[in-house]
Amino acid sequence: MVRRLVPALPLALSMATAAAAQTNDPAGRPVSKSDYALTNVRIVAAPGRVIERGTVVFVNGRITAVGANVTVPAGVVRMDLAGHTVYPGLIDAATSIGLPSPNRALPTPADPAAAPAGGRGGGGRGAGQPLGRGGPGVAPVVLLPEVEADAEAADMFQPSDADLRALRAGGVTTVGLVFSGGIFPGRVGAALTGSRENSRLALRTGAAQEVSFGTKRGGQYPGTGIGSVAFIRQSFLDAQYEARVDKAFKAGTPGARPSNDPFSRALIAAATNTIPSWFVASNERQILRVADIATEMELKNPVVVGSQEGWRAIPALKRMGATAVVSVNWPSPDSVTGRVFQAIGIGKSGTAPALTAADTNEVRGNAAALIKAGVPVALSSFGGASGANYRERIRLAIAAGLTPDDALRAATVTPAALLGVTSAVGTIEVGKLANVVVVSGNDLFAAGSPIKHVFVEGRIY
Amino acid sequence: MRLTIRSARAAFIAGVLAMPGALGAQDVAIRNATIITISNGDIPNGTIVVRGGKITAVGANVQVPAGIRVIDGTGKFVMPGIIDAHSHAALEGGINEGSESVTPEVRVQVKNDDAVIYRALAGGVTAALQLHGSANTIGGQGNVVKMRWGSSAEDMLFKGAFRIVKFALGENVTRASSTAPADERRFPMTRMGVEFTVQYWFNKAKEYQKEWDDYRAAVKANPKSDAIMPRRDLRLEALSDILKGDLKVHSHSYRADEILMLIRVAEENGFKVHTFQHVLEGYKVADEMARHGAMASTFADMWAYKVEAWDAIPFNMALMTQRGVVVSVNSDSDERIRRLYQEAGVGVRYGNMAVNDALKMITLNPARQLGVDKMVGTLEVGKDGDIAVFSAHPFAPNAMVEYTLVDGKVLFDRSEAATLRKQAATSPGGNQ
Repeated sequence: MVRRLVPALPLALSMATAAAAQTNDPAGRPVSKSDYALTNVRIVAAPGRVIERGTVVFVNGRITAVGANVTVPAGVVRMDLAGHTVYPGLIDAATSIGLPSPNRALPTPADPAAAPAGGRGGGGRGAGQPLGRGGPGVAPVVLLPEVEADAEAADMFQPSDADLRALRAGGVTTVGLVFSGGIFPGRVGAALTGSRENSRLALRTGAAQEVSFGTKRGGQYPGTGIGSVAFIRQSFLDAQYEARVDKAFKAGTPGARPSNDPFSRALIAAATNTIPSWFVASNERQILRVADIATEMELKNPVVVGSQEGWRAIPALKRMGATAVVSVNWPSPDSVTGRVFQAIGIGKSGTAPALTAADTNEVRGNAAALIKAGVPVALSSFGGASGANYRERIRLAIAAGLTPDDALRAATVTPAALLGVTSAVGTIEVGKLANVVVVSGNDLFAAGSPIKHVFVEGRIY
Repeated sequence: MRLTIRSARAAFIAGVLAMPGALGAQDVAIRNATIITISNGDIPNGTIVVRGGKITAVGANVQVPAGIRVIDGTGKFVMPGIIDAHSHAALEGGINEGSESVTPEVRVQVKNDDAVIYRALAGGVTAALQLHGSANTIGGQGNVVKMRWGSSAEDMLFKGAFRIVKFALGENVTRASSTAPADERRFPMTRMGVEFTVQYWFNKAKEYQKEWDDYRAAVKANPKSDAIMPRRDLRLEALSDILKGDLKVHSHSYRADEILMLIRVAEENGFKVHTFQHVLEGYKVADEMARHGAMASTFADMWAYKVEAWDAIPFNMALMTQRGVVVSVNSDSDERIRRLYQEAGVGVRYGNMAVNDALKMITLNPARQLGVDKMVGTLEVGKDGDIAVFSAHPFAPNAMVEYTLVDGKVLFDRSEAATLRKQAATSPGGNQ
């Protein structure tokens, strides 16, 4: 699988160019009215890297200058943003918005009322089988296969314009794309939340292999969660075997004959640690299962997506060297594993005691607890609404103990690295895409702090 | 009132939260009770001491170390924690991976916060075998767990226990009650098909073993051999483990003919049926089971609840025991798991079993079937502090469990539970 980094140019090239001519487009094109200089603005270039008053210049979708003393090139649109702060655009490390899924149907493009905005021409690889829901006026829905290791989320990303607006309204300029459901539903990708044309949203394919404890439909194996674990283990073993045979075959070993089974072949990259595996796991027991599988299959640096009860499974997360893509779509404290331990003996069995502020704080303090324990964290809205809701949830996570710097890191630098798009997004640096959020005042995560502008690849929204 | 409940609850919750591993096992002594050791008779007015999770003293004249918790056992009966050799309690992610007929690569998953664990403790149960269901000929692997209420799923696993896999025979496997058309049903659909399925898959397992043996021999003969490490097949690996004796077969069964069939197929293939489950017609073939070395885990009485249970009799436990089969009585139910001691008592009424032999059916015998008899099943120095304290002899109709200890920790205390329940019930708004 060829890795794509669609709009990003090699960083070295842009850095060199920027050094030579701070404010010129690397491609040498003249600046235009779609280029901007944000002046007199407080700049949080990266977590812990603040310029109290400075200028950021975008040319042709890229950051060409950042600093306290920057000469603004002629012809760009100058915006005086005194009293405002510019942040790197937020990254939501895992969302299923705009994606079809093995267990959640999206309307097909045949339904004009809900047609996606994207021009990527639906269908194609991984479009799955249409399941007729019958009746006039009801569009057939498309479900993805539960197992298709090389389906690319970024290729299937078809958000509606409303989806994109909602994401940007929350300051989210990049999303990690993770399917909802299935077993091996495909590969994780990254996309922007705005572009001149929606066919240009995809930023990166093949960032990771997604694994989820789903089941197969229609009475097929595996039909249960317990079967799913066995299926996942066997699939990794098969891919590792396929890799051994393939290697021997290429070395000319007599008798070596790869099966060339498309599924095993597609899974080789993850099974041999060429790309990481992202396991969807929310509660304590699921995280323990991931640790068992990752250890047995010798998977390096696995990622646990969701990880809502991560704080209950810290030793398991550390044992497997995992990064937690923590969802701020928090579970109800009443549903947390172990809650029922406290219910016993006080009346109706299975009824937990009244919730306290401490219970809520425990759930919301998940990311803070993990970071404190040394587990790397990226934040996501996985399983819930992104956008404005995402920023509000991050604010509440900060109220529950996350430091603002850690929050920003977990919503910018860490997910950029996990998604393999560090050269394009995550900080305000010369050469990166002009993905920034401008907020009134000096704190992106303050309650009600209004977002003034969002730029995605230099386009103003 | 509200305050009282809050504080009682707070105290209780503090206790619960303190239970898991963080604190060491409690040291505790139960004094002046009738101690049913199972292995060395009953000790009237005896004392048992548990320290660091293990039994350190048991007898009539035992010094209680200073400073440890003492439970007054006057009038009470102390027995080893009850062991349920067949349960589907506290599982998640499914009980039956019934999509295919042979799935020994699958393993059941503990749901450590299922309230049934606490209810089992209230019935004196301290350990259980969580089995896969009986939908397929060779089902999944089970877990032997201790009822460590409050612990994580991995900490509930009983270390050192056998690895156990479920087989099943008869109506459940052949989907006898299925209303689906025959061409939509899964193979096998007859008892003949079940026998074939077992034979077919063990043939495959032997081929798999040979493939690996050949590979290992090639690498041993020539470390630079270009032999490719074979594909690991978790299904055939599990069957291979059965052939090696590392994975013990517990087979769901009812009728004498199917029991004899599996013994014959097992002997032909060189493995052992470790324990027959249900085995309602075991009394007809007890000698054959004893000769094979199979144990039996049965119901006290489940006459005619399905066609293949037509010949079930309550004398089954006693008759199999008489012929030298190691017998346990199990629950197979989240309800019966709370009163296994009454189920065992059936053996005394139907078949005149000695009381101690009947009690063995819920202690030492299931411990042997689960491979944990070195650790639990009797009250002896050195064994785990897994103990049930009854208000009366466990076979008395009015007997209730007052305390249940696992690894020396009091995980069920009836007076505490009752007090909290009463307070909650009399509080306006209850525990809302």
